[in-house]
Amino acid sequence: MASRYLYLTNARLACLRLSRGHIREAREFEVSEEGAAAFEAYLAAAPALPTRFITDLVEEDFRPDTIPHVGAGDRQAIVGRKLGQIFRNTPYRHALLHGREADGRRDDRVVYAAITNPEVLKPWMEILERHEVALAGVHSAAVLGTRLLEALGLVYPHTLLVHFSPGGALRQTYFRAGEIRFTRLTPLDHEDERSLGEIVADETTRTWQYLDNLRSFAATDRLEICVLVQPKDRAAVEPALTGFEQIAYHLLDSDEVAAKVGLKPPPRGSEAVAGSPSGAERILARLLERRGIENHFATPEMRRHWMFGQARNIMNAASIAILGIGIVAVVMNLHGIFAASDEDEKAGREIGELNREYDQMTRALPAAGVGGAAMRDAVSFYTTFIQGYPSLTGFLVPLSGVLQDHPRVRLSQLSWQATDNPAATPPLASQPPRVPPPVRSSGKGADVAIRPPAEDASTAPFGGGRYEVALVEATVSVPSHDFRAALGEVERLAGEIRAVKGFQAEVIESPLDVRPSLVLQGRHAEREAPGMEARFLLRVVRKGLAT
Amino acid sequence: MSILWSAEGRRKLRGPAAILAACVAMSAALIEASHWFLQKERLDARGASARLKEAHARVDKVRRERESLDQSTEVFRMLVARGLMQPEQRLELVEQMNGLRAQHGILALDYEIAPQRPLAVAGGRQFPAVDILSSRVSVRLRALHEGDVLAFIEALAASRQGFYPVDRCAMRRMEVANPDALQARVEADCTLEWITMKEKRVA
Repeated sequence: MASRYLYLTNARLACLRLSRGHIREAREFEVSEEGAAAFEAYLAAAPALPTRFITDLVEEDFRPDTIPHVGAGDRQAIVGRKLGQIFRNTPYRHALLHGREADGRRDDRVVYAAITNPEVLKPWMEILERHEVALAGVHSAAVLGTRLLEALGLVYPHTLLVHFSPGGALRQTYFRAGEIRFTRLTPLDHEDERSLGEIVADETTRTWQYLDNLRSFAATDRLEICVLVQPKDRAAVEPALTGFEQIAYHLLDSDEVAAKVGLKPPPRGSEAVAGSPSGAERILARLLERRGIENHFATPEMRRHWMFGQARNIMNAASIAILGIGIVAVVMNLHGIFAASDEDEKAGREIGELNREYDQMTRALPAAGVGGAAMRDAVSFYTTFIQGYPSLTGFLVPLSGVLQDHPRVRLSQLSWQATDNPAATPPLASQPPRVPPPVRSSGKGADVAIRPPAEDASTAPFGGGRYEVALVEATVSVPSHDFRAALGEVERLAGEIRAVKGFQAEVIESPLDVRPSLVLQGRHAEREAPGMEARFLLRVVRKGLAT
Repeated sequence: MSILWSAEGRRKLRGPAAILAACVAMSAALIEASHWFLQKERLDARGASARLKEAHARVDKVRRERESLDQSTEVFRMLVARGLMQPEQRLELVEQMNGLRAQHGILALDYEIAPQRPLAVAGGRQFPAVDILSSRVSVRLRALHEGDVLAFIEALAASRQGFYPVDRCAMRRMEVANPDALQARVEADCTLEWITMKEKRVA
């Protein structure tokens, strides 16, 4: 973005328009009423640009000082008071803070600067004010010299920067360790018979003497004098500048310096760019463009149009940013909306297809002469309760297989029941053997009467027959009084039944009950049969195959 | 900074401030509106997703039902062939008893068919589309050999008019005075359910 730089000396006002190192326009106006009128006419027609004012005036005064090191607020108050005391009659005043002293109380080093005669600036400021020019600041050209030394890498303990100002003046600024200490502007007399080099040599020597009188140098110190000259003047200046032990001259070619600071030459034949192509004012303006610097002399009232512009720019940028954020958010939301809408549409299509499929399948469901529900119920009842229902034959076949291996066992009776209760006991009326055994037990609990609780089978719920329970009454033929053989036979029989998959068997009544709580009675007759039939009772449970 | 709030500052910055406010309002409105619309679309999409899930479930259910019915149809045809869906034909059972007695050499046969009743099944399970009906049949018979008894019971249970699950049976060997005489050696006492079904008709 382009900016305007107004470089004011006591004789001329140079007006520069810079944009990224290019001088787009350069004009000069006389410091006179006519010059001011011409400048105002120019300004009325020129585009409104942010403007910086650089002063290179005789009326500039610089006074080094030290103040106690205090907080920022207190320092501002002290500096403000000092400025008011020293430069009472001008609003163009400023304090440059240069760090702290190395020893003692380590006070802050300050240089008070001011344009002691505000009338010099007044007509120009009034013009700027009338045209509501956005004045960013009023800067001292002497202070900008610090920037030039930094840009060129000229770091000396004692430096005197010398350059020529528009309108014919010689500006000498003394820097000690990079800090401005003194400046002097000497108008050049056109009738002076001395060459430009001799003038520079004389004036710089005079300045050295002045500084030396102020005890600015130690005995071994040397003042490095950097003279910024146009290439066309170099031949006239260089021979006269012969240094000596306390003074050394360094000629700075203004074209080279301009190139170093990024000042690009104006277009050839451009009428809008008058004056020297690499004058000191252009180099300093370029330094100011390259990196901003704090305002020196302008009051907030003078800078208000620039501040308004800055605030306007910030608000406009914020407006664009907020609108941009809004648009980005809307785009993201729209993306989500489209995605959700697509998903919705896709789901709708799928639902439609599924509904059609459902209708087709529903219509195609088999009916088989009765309602689907009746079919389902009938099949469900069948598969749940009938399909796996046990049969008596199915129970007896494996049992008969076991009994075949026990020829001495003779089945008397069997009571079988299909039930869902594995603890159920089918009814059984005990049949005593034809020939009672020679030994029998008696007493409470000896005769186990199998009398299950009364149950009305016609009202009991019909189960799926998950268990088959049977009471098996039988006798085993053994030699007389050989109850051990009888007991062994019965236990083996029960064990073999248990070995059949799904079967459980327990002896309910054994051939001889030998529990200690019972009475045991035996009888040996004179004539005894060679064998006996010992009765026993088994309870057999089979878990249904369907469970 | 205070100079920005002066009368001149307010006047000069009125335009940019209005633009800024308008941009803020417009952005907020756009964001809010698009966000609201996005939420609505997402809600709709979620609703559609739920409806899709329901439709899938419905189709899966009817598919399972169809598969189940495909399987059930075969079973049901068999049940119909067994006369399960027909009313009791007691005369046929009486005739069948007579025939089975002769066929299996049953010496004596007493039987009793109780009145038909709705059959209560275990677990209180309900079959809303059919009535399960049953008549309890008690059979007492005597035979020469237990094989005859078992064959009679098996044949009765395999009858083609309903189902006859035998739930109780007691067999007892009978003592005979003369082993060479032709008389009953085995006595059996069995009970079974004669089950038929009837489709419920909705009035």
